[in-house]
Amino acid sequence: MSGQSIRRPGELVFACLLVIFSAAALWQAYGISGFKGLSQPGVFPMLAAATMLVSCLFVLRDTLRARETEQPGTAGASWSSILPLRLLVILAMVAIYLYAMPWLGFVLASGLFLFSCIAYLWRKGIVISLALSIASLAAIYFLFRVVFEVVLPQGSVIPAGVF
Amino acid sequence: MLEALGNFGISWLDPWLLLLTASGTLAGIYVGAIPGLSVTMATSILISFTFKWPVNDALALIAGVFMGGVYGGSRTAILLNIPGAPSAIATAIEGYPMARRGEAGEAIGLTTVMSVFGGFVGIAALAMLAPAISSFALMFNSRDYLLLGLIGILLVGTLSGESFAKGAFAGALGVLIGMVGLDPMTAEGRFTFGSISLMGGIPYVAAMIGFFGVAEALVQLQTLDVPAIKQKIDRVIPKFSDVKRYFWLAMRASGIGTIIGALPGTGGDIAALLAYDDARRSVKNPEVPFGEGAKEGLVAPEAANNAAVGGAFIPMLTLGIPGDAVTAVIIGALFIHGLKPGPLMLVETPHLFWFTVGNLALANVFLLIFGLTGIRIFTKIVECPKAILIPLIIVLSAVGTYAIENNPVHIYWMLLFGVFGYFLKTYGFQVGPVILGVILGPMMDSNYRRAMIGARGDVGEFLWNFVSHPISLVLSVGFLLMLVSQTPLWPWIRKKAGLQR
Repeated sequence: MSGQSIRRPGELVFACLLVIFSAAALWQAYGISGFKGLSQPGVFPMLAAATMLVSCLFVLRDTLRARETEQPGTAGASWSSILPLRLLVILAMVAIYLYAMPWLGFVLASGLFLFSCIAYLWRKGIVISLALSIASLAAIYFLFRVVFEVVLPQGSVIPAGVF
Repeated sequence: MLEALGNFGISWLDPWLLLLTASGTLAGIYVGAIPGLSVTMATSILISFTFKWPVNDALALIAGVFMGGVYGGSRTAILLNIPGAPSAIATAIEGYPMARRGEAGEAIGLTTVMSVFGGFVGIAALAMLAPAISSFALMFNSRDYLLLGLIGILLVGTLSGESFAKGAFAGALGVLIGMVGLDPMTAEGRFTFGSISLMGGIPYVAAMIGFFGVAEALVQLQTLDVPAIKQKIDRVIPKFSDVKRYFWLAMRASGIGTIIGALPGTGGDIAALLAYDDARRSVKNPEVPFGEGAKEGLVAPEAANNAAVGGAFIPMLTLGIPGDAVTAVIIGALFIHGLKPGPLMLVETPHLFWFTVGNLALANVFLLIFGLTGIRIFTKIVECPKAILIPLIIVLSAVGTYAIENNPVHIYWMLLFGVFGYFLKTYGFQVGPVILGVILGPMMDSNYRRAMIGARGDVGEFLWNFVSHPISLVLSVGFLLMLVSQTPLWPWIRKKAGLQR
């Protein structure tokens, strides 16, 4: 059971969260059918949750034993390697994308998402980002809507039959 | 015999069926290769518009997609380190390091030849051993399926990752996710919190796309500025000496793949991992260590997962039990066409059996052709900047998840798993065991309960059954050995036995 010897930033918090999550899952699994019988629907979920709890207690033990990253000056830098600004921006864009999809519909929302992401990550100019996002969106639309005949989410502000 | 041969050759001689099988195989390769698009999904969508077709046309297209899709996952595994399908998880472990050394062409060529080889072994087994293997698989009891599931998850959990505890956690988490929804036996809600949208459970395709597609895309954000390695594709057709050297390994892996494929509920994914593990144990001196791009570690899983295709058809056509998720969908297609897969199918409609065998063989030939060509165009995807690829993967994952059941809630689940998967990956957990747990969890649960009911709820009898039946005993011993070898007890036993100085 060898863990790594250096603790990554936020790893201890994550391990603690996993322990809490597993304990909550075990409690919920117990709530399904308790200890009424061995072939009840709650038995297997309880076994799974108990395995999770035991194994992440081991993970927590390994994490506690691991050395913390030395060189105090680098702590901030390491944090930004776990949660870089770029990731937060992309996650925010994904959240907006999902929030906007029921209104704008799949085609318009995906187009805007692709364009803003490519423009933000690539930084090669607005025109080329726009051309790329339109081209890739057209390919996705053709594959899913035309070939596979998937009904894509229709927005409430887009008149029916447009996309 | 002559009649069987005639039915075998139907799709080889009919130009329309040839075209359908070829386009199915080509489409399958690309569907399998695109992360987030699964063969199961493609097959189920295909069925939604082929059910009006004649049965031979529909089967030809589906056989092509199945064969191509199982193989296609290896390409993205090698080039991008994203297994296009769970059956390519082991391929990524060895294939990606090879691609990073600029040997992507060689890796793809070897993978193709060995996949085709494995495919033929599986098909030959389907044609010759169908009755024998299926009667053996019929002897498997519910507790044996429980053990098989446990062994499968344990194998993936211990294969890679930082520690056994992390692997065990990931596997158990997957089983827990698979439990969400109404219990199939008693219709009691499990982890539904009274919400209607949770009662149907969390679809494993959503979990798979989230953990493999989105989480990987988010991890890739960290290395956005690192330029993609220029993939040198100078040699695709593998050296004959390589093919000759790995012949017996491929043969062995194909055997494993066929048997695992024939066992109901276990498909190409477990076959590939078992064969990979077997290669790791049996190959003593690989040229390159395992995990750093060993060709042996590429040959074994790829031969096994395509052999599993033929294997999976064995119980499906002779017993009416699907060998894996895709054959489960294909059984649905056969029912739609008014056919009854099962013990009587070989008696009532033998032409269909031989047509399927011939068709799979034809798809395998096309796999060799398409697998060794068009790689240069394919590798352009790798040279495509990540800044374009990452947003595209996210959009593809969203639309792919939506396509399963046209349910927007699944997209939220998929993204939630994506973010969770990102943190798991960052802190050294593997996401492979999670997916396996999700897929195998419900199967293990129902088999556990069937075994327990069979023992009348008596723990003593339940445990006694594991050692008193030969098949269960072999599996139990294998499972215990695997478990003990991961604990501090193992070095102690070895020391006692005088194996370690």
